[in-house]
Amino acid sequence: MSSSGKIAGPVQALINEFTKLPTVGPKTAARLVFHLLNRPRHEAQALAEAILGVKDKVRFCSTCFSLTELDPCDICSDERRDTHCICVVAEAKDIYAIERSDAFNGRYHVLGGLISPMDGIGIEQLRVKELIARIGAECPSEIILATNPNAEGEATALYLSRLLHSLSVTVTRLAYGLPIGADLDYADEVTLAKAVEGRQRL
Amino acid sequence: MQLTRVALSNFRNYAELDLEPAPGLNVFVGQNAQGKSNLLEAIAMLGTGKSFRTNRDIDLVREGLELAVVCGDAQIRAGIVHLGCTIAKNARSTRKTYTINGQGVRYARFLGSIRVVTFVPADLQLVGGPPSLRRALLNIALAQEDRTYYHELARYQKALQQKAAMLRGTVAFDTDLLAIYDHTLVEAGTAVMLARNHFISELKREAERTHAQWTGGAERLEITYAPNVPFEAPTVEAVADAFGRRLRQVAEAERLRRSTLAGPHRDDLGLALDGHPLAAYGSQGQQRTAVLALKVAEYAVMRDRSNEAPLLLLDDVLSELDRERAAAFLAGIGGYAQAFVTATHLPDGLPDAARRFEIARATVRPC
Repeated sequence: MSSSGKIAGPVQALINEFTKLPTVGPKTAARLVFHLLNRPRHEAQALAEAILGVKDKVRFCSTCFSLTELDPCDICSDERRDTHCICVVAEAKDIYAIERSDAFNGRYHVLGGLISPMDGIGIEQLRVKELIARIGAECPSEIILATNPNAEGEATALYLSRLLHSLSVTVTRLAYGLPIGADLDYADEVTLAKAVEGRQRL
Repeated sequence: MQLTRVALSNFRNYAELDLEPAPGLNVFVGQNAQGKSNLLEAIAMLGTGKSFRTNRDIDLVREGLELAVVCGDAQIRAGIVHLGCTIAKNARSTRKTYTINGQGVRYARFLGSIRVVTFVPADLQLVGGPPSLRRALLNIALAQEDRTYYHELARYQKALQQKAAMLRGTVAFDTDLLAIYDHTLVEAGTAVMLARNHFISELKREAERTHAQWTGGAERLEITYAPNVPFEAPTVEAVADAFGRRLRQVAEAERLRRSTLAGPHRDDLGLALDGHPLAAYGSQGQQRTAVLALKVAEYAVMRDRSNEAPLLLLDDVLSELDRERAAAFLAGIGGYAQAFVTATHLPDGLPDAARRFEIARATVRPC
């Protein structure tokens, strides 16, 4: 699949660019390129401009560090949103997931990753100082730690909960549990055990 | 449990294979490098989800291709289960995915759907070789048996890697973060140690009994758990307490030497004959007899724990043994439900009921 002389130079160049993207292998890249070749020029133009637009116009919100065109971002500048509650997430994309749920009406704080010394990420590499400064300035009553339920997410949540302990703010963590609509006998033992541990009175 | 069908596609040197093994003993005979070990490796993957020969998954995919598939139908107590393992290679990495009855599942769920005990020539070093070999025996058996064990072991290893990275200096040293990793190490490590302690007590009983039968009681094999962190009693409190104390003792040395120094990742299995360490004092023959007793015991413990005989996979190992030992080993295993044996020549003394296959250039034919 690699640079064989039979493929025109620009085609191969675009295939190479696409394969640098996550989840795209050489086969998918070739499909994308041949699809684009069959589409009108203005569509390719729109795609190219959209890609550049992301790089040129999108920046970090200076309050919550999510991605935005305007600073502060739509969520931080929305006065209808609850200012008493800050939801801490690892990445900006996690905001979109939580927003889709419609279950949360507070504001966010994006850490920019999770603690993982193996990957060279310690506290200093994350926006933790900024979080503490925000807590001082905004005086929220609750911090929700919404990091992934994996090893790094756990360690980060635990670290933050200890760190924030001295501040007068309630720190909570997303619940563990069973996916809605799933069968109990298909759930793995560990998830099930966590769900039993975190059971609630009805 | 019993495998009723194995199908391979682009796995190692196999283009396609569709095989219906018999209940009981299946013997595969062929020259070297024809695909005998590859077939056993594939069957083992249906149980453990991983190769027993390599960590380089890319080697599992037939040369020049991108996708290898191993599937199998197994008759287990709960009914018939269809297992699938796909190894996909792309420009950057190789990924394994798993299915049970056509539904995608995570590795932790796939692991142990069927259970296997493998015995390969490298296992003959179990007594004389490094502790990692003996820990691998414990981990592979326990992980198939007990999903909680796998979960705790994975948690332990992850926290250990993160802590080791911090000690090496990949990020600024942070005592609070260290405390979090140590907390996870103690919690998960305690579960690992307790599970090993329990498993080894069962392994000990079976291995020592089998060994005594073989030697007519003339020699006494002793198997002990040799935890890196000794504990007074096999309770969560006692083990966690001992491990926590040990981590505090070595904390300074760990920082100085920039590496982790204590915990179950340094555990071992103690093997002695009449009170003397086998690795140092035992003859080749004595060490080999102990290895066989250990493998018989591993099989027996896995069978008795779930009341269902695991699959027995013997890769080219009977021919490494003299006739007497090979016969004693098979007799020691006793009533296996299903076994897969590879050899370059038909081993002596196989039961007549054995189904025989010939493997040549990745083709398997009954013979």
